[in-house]
Amino acid sequence: MRNVWVMGKKEFISYFSSPIAYVAITVFLVVVGMKFFVVDKFFDTGEASLRSFFSLVPAFFVFYLPAIAMRLVSEEKRLGTFELLATLPVGDAEIVLGKFLGALGFLAKTLALTLVYPLILGLLGDPDFGAIGGGYLGLVLIGSTFLAIGIMCSAWTNSQIVAYILGAVLSSLFYFIDSILTAFWEGARRVAEYASFSSHFGNFTRGVVDTRDVVFFLTVTALALVVATFSINSRRWN
Amino acid sequence: MSNAPSVPMIEVTGLSKRYGSIEAVKEVNFKVDRGEIVGFLGPNGAGKTTCLKIMTCFIPPSAGSVKIAGMDVLEKPKEVRRKFGYLPENAPLYTEMIVYDYLSYIGALRGLSGRKLKTKVGSIAEKVGVSNVLSQIAGTLSKGYRQRVCLAQALIHDPEILILDEPTVGLDPNQVVEIRSLIKTLGEERTVILSSHILPEVLVTCDRLIIIHRGQIVADGTAASLQERMAENPPVILRLASSGDGFGAKIAEALTASGLFASVRQRPVGIASEAEFELVPGSVGDVRSAAVELSASKGWKLLEVRRELLDIEGLFRRLTQE
Repeated sequence: MRNVWVMGKKEFISYFSSPIAYVAITVFLVVVGMKFFVVDKFFDTGEASLRSFFSLVPAFFVFYLPAIAMRLVSEEKRLGTFELLATLPVGDAEIVLGKFLGALGFLAKTLALTLVYPLILGLLGDPDFGAIGGGYLGLVLIGSTFLAIGIMCSAWTNSQIVAYILGAVLSSLFYFIDSILTAFWEGARRVAEYASFSSHFGNFTRGVVDTRDVVFFLTVTALALVVATFSINSRRWN
Repeated sequence: MSNAPSVPMIEVTGLSKRYGSIEAVKEVNFKVDRGEIVGFLGPNGAGKTTCLKIMTCFIPPSAGSVKIAGMDVLEKPKEVRRKFGYLPENAPLYTEMIVYDYLSYIGALRGLSGRKLKTKVGSIAEKVGVSNVLSQIAGTLSKGYRQRVCLAQALIHDPEILILDEPTVGLDPNQVVEIRSLIKTLGEERTVILSSHILPEVLVTCDRLIIIHRGQIVADGTAASLQERMAENPPVILRLASSGDGFGAKIAEALTASGLFASVRQRPVGIASEAEFELVPGSVGDVRSAAVELSASKGWKLLEVRRELLDIEGLFRRLTQE
């Protein structure tokens, strides 16, 4: 467990040793801010809610988080440091969890920077903090699922670009699957909604924390991390 | 450095590795005892790196077994990995990381922490001569420093065994000398196995050489015994003035017919007016004077006679022909 912490810390810090992290966070905040203040005219609607914020962010995460996860394993393979890491007394699962922890730290930092919105709401009006708390919990859950998928894709290749594209395609597929499927076949709605990330996320924004949704995201996250671990392992032992 | 020949530090038995249809390593057997510095020598693609990768638990063997300090790499990979420090080929580093942070990171994953980790990073950096670049970003280091930083990483936990894959490749001659003497110092208290494709390098650094060719061990012995073998029966090079087309073939025929040499081979020289022949003596002995006398009696214009000590290619040729 100590190894996971050491690796997580290293990954988190190394995000900020390149300009990419700053660019990514800036773009994220600008897009969210534009939507909040300009598109949805926050000051004109007179509504103390973050509903529009919570509807935008997960869709943005579909493209944002794969970029955060893409280099985690692939870059190690490209640099050759993977061989070094894999010959240290560190297990494959520890490697994957360490990377995941670092990325989760980055996600937490990104989300922490958006806490200014609930703060504004609190100062100007009387928002439903239960719904806001639920929304943030949902964002952490769906975000960690996207990150786990991104790490899984990163473990499949030594190219960051390929890892990004795979990650973004898989994430958007899972996120939008209900809209995609039902566009072709209305009968698939029930199945599609069950598999779709967006329908599971929807409950959180209404302030409803349903165990089924929590378990859903945790299961998909764990599954992706397990696949990532096996992918790393198979490279080592084939 | 105990005298008791208890458990060998490295024990490789019947090791084979296939990549698809290619057999990279075939039935390799050797043992390395505590305190030995062993050079693993072979041309590129001979299977050196593959052997080292199996020893470090990075890839599994297809057949056979590798034991490090008595533990099998397949059964106890985690314990085995604690025993050695490894410098992979090309000295991989996290290019965006500061050298100090890099060494601390590897040290932490090796189980060090707090004050102990700090002093260890300092003392290792001192030992391998990277103290002055500790605050630099690893990606900006020269090849020599990269190599040394990566070596420092391999030493951070004071391993009993050091496994170094081509530790001097890509270094300039001065750096090569530095790294070599560093390895010699390190070998005083550790078991070292290093790979190389440069013969003189391993001759000066290692006590013992294992020569591997096409995945098989072709020689295993001390540097001195190997050097003796190389000096034994060296081929004689005979250079004559050529009188035109067909000269070379005619002379080669005459040299073979003389029965003085085990084999005669014409070598290309790139000058039309000269021809060169490699004469391998049949039994131990110097055939230079015989070659001179033969040339004189046949009336060939002699330009040069010399003995040629074997280079690594010659040695491989000889070892693999035997």
